Amino acid sequence: MELIHHKILGITTIVYLFIFFAHIVYFVVKKEIFLRSAWVLIYFNFFLHTTGILFRWFESYTLKMGHAPFSNLYESLIFFSWCICFMVILMKKRFMYPLISMFSILGALFFMAYASISPGVDKSIQPLIPALQSNWLHIHVITCFISYAAFLISFISGMLYFMGFRWAVLPDKETLEEINYKSIMVGFPMLSAGILTGAVWAHYAWGSYWSWDPKETWSLITWIIYALFLHARFVRGWRGKKIAFISIMGFLSVLFTYFGVNFILSGLHSYAT
Amino acid sequence: MKIIDFFQLYDIYHAPWFIGAIVFFAINLTVCTLTRFLKKWKEVSRNNIPDENTLYNMKLNFTLKKEKEDDAISIINKKFKKKVYEGEDGIIFEKGSFNRYGVFLIHMSILIILIGSLVGLIWGYKGFVVLSKGDLREYFFLRGKEAKEVPFGFALRCKDFNVSFYPNGAPKDYVTRLEIIENNKVLFEREIRVNNPLNYKGLNIYQSSYGTTPAFVFKIDHREVVLKEYDEYEIEGFIMVPVRFEKAIHNFGPGVQVAFLEDGEPKTTWFLRDIPKMKERELEGKRVILEDIREELWTGLEVTRDPGTGIVWTGFGLMLIGLYINFFVVAGRLYIKRSNDVIIVAASGIKHHEKIQIEFEKIKRSLNGTDPS
Ligand code: HEM
Repeated sequence: MELIHHKILGITTIVYLFIFFAHIVYFVVKKEIFLRSAWVLIYFNFFLHTTGILFRWFESYTLKMGHAPFSNLYESLIFFSWCICFMVILMKKRFMYPLISMFSILGALFFMAYASISPGVDKSIQPLIPALQSNWLHIHVITCFISYAAFLISFISGMLYFMGFRWAVLPDKETLEEINYKSIMVGFPMLSAGILTGAVWAHYAWGSYWSWDPKETWSLITWIIYALFLHARFVRGWRGKKIAFISIMGFLSVLFTYFGVNFILSGLHSYAT
Repeated sequence: MKIIDFFQLYDIYHAPWFIGAIVFFAINLTVCTLTRFLKKWKEVSRNNIPDENTLYNMKLNFTLKKEKEDDAISIINKKFKKKVYEGEDGIIFEKGSFNRYGVFLIHMSILIILIGSLVGLIWGYKGFVVLSKGDLREYFFLRGKEAKEVPFGFALRCKDFNVSFYPNGAPKDYVTRLEIIENNKVLFEREIRVNNPLNYKGLNIYQSSYGTTPAFVFKIDHREVVLKEYDEYEIEGFIMVPVRFEKAIHNFGPGVQVAFLEDGEPKTTWFLRDIPKMKERELEGKRVILEDIREELWTGLEVTRDPGTGIVWTGFGLMLIGLYINFFVVAGRLYIKRSNDVIIVAASGIKHHEKIQIEFEKIKRSLNGTDPS
């Protein structure tokens, strides 16, 4: 069934594509106006994206299965993209360089497109099964995905660090490290909060706050990788490539926690996000 | 198999080597954290103003005319509230100074969580109990290598159990209505559902599964009797037990095998519900008729005791506070040094250097400070 929110989110996806192209044009013709219009579009799309999510929420009530849109793979992908856009706006003031915003928006575009195109992703609104009927669901999902979005930005700056050539629009290495660290400063506490709230939820739903289900185990591995990042930087004083490498590994672990575990390993979590 | 037995891999979390490794990690963490903590403590109590060159080398600094000192202090005090040192040579202001203890809280919270989980490993246990409507239980089964029955310390009666489904067939809600009984008195009644367990006398009782078991409705000499598998029925020296249920025997429909005593000898026979000739038998002079086979719902409850949960929750809370303090509290120091002809104002950020910088620039602008050359 085609619902209003599917249309809104469809337009959102297209606008992300426009934002991406606006960045490309900016890099080619080097006119500020294109970067500025990209930012206007980012703000506009953040609004549109939010509206789309709210409509899905609202429409779930009209279908008599009312619940916040955080409960299956489709909804989590849409929310992940929203978090990416949110982080881009949050970090704009001091740390946003066009290359970083371009790749972040590309990430948001990718997850939106994956959500709407992949046949493996069920777009319909489903009712909440008993295990998900908990207020912990909301805070758990929100904290986890904000951290994932922050880690995406850390990943992008880590990858850009390895760009060998000098490029006028490439931020200098020190700035890239700074962006990397700043995004982990948001991501790490959020991931910790996500894991802890997940544990509290598991206590109420399954009777045990930790059961070494694959998703839990992998989120712990991810958490340890980012703890390694912080220790390498602050205790060992590591800088440069080694640090960038850890942030890349961290995000790969995030991706595996998010997707790999769902598709490869099965566990208590795999029905949902 | 030997390896599995040796390392107790069937039950890693109770294996001595696993607990040993965690204890070792915990000791390591404690020692590291404490030494760092003491070092920081000393650092903090060492409060003297760096010399002029050090101050000039800080990223943030400016100089002021001598007579502006009072102005400067009042403006600075709005942003950097704490004075940690005041002397002839100058003043040290500080903000967010507790930021440096965030790390300490984080590591201690990890330790507390480990202690809590260890307490749970040692003194906690997990079990389950299965109830049909009307059942009363005083014991549950312990999970583990050997099944063991453990008393609740009270009794549970399942007053009702309901499963509801959404139109698309997905489960919507499982609800067990329980009566908690002590000394033959009903203390209270509670509904438990997924995400809404009962906590009583240190035991947590969770809704975890459900299913159906067959119930056999017999008429034995005109008396209706409902039996489940292995329920023993005895009357006037006649004993029978339904021992095996089959959903379909060839294509004759459902049937149940019943064991009984014939002249002291155990014998078995089958009853088939849908075949008139096979639903009625004469056993030891009793007329036994299988009237019906019903599917009866049972509810599976998970029973756990974990005295470490409170400790773990405390650790969680401390970790969140520690993370907040470490990552979001803006911290820095600002120095005022009285030099021969000018006042030097300099600052350094402990965390969030750029935020300290913004505030420093504001202070500088409002005082019209000049860059030292
Ligand atoms: C044996 C284990 C560990 C040791 C020996 C250790 C040691 C340290 C040390 C020495 C510091 C520097 C403190 C300072 O700046 O004065 C530090 C910082 C930190 N550690 Fe650990 N740590 C351990 C495990 C962990 C774990 C598992 C976490 C996960 C949450 C963690 C999170 C942090 C954080 C967030 C910081 C602060 C980094 C910053 O300055 O922003 N540590 N650790």
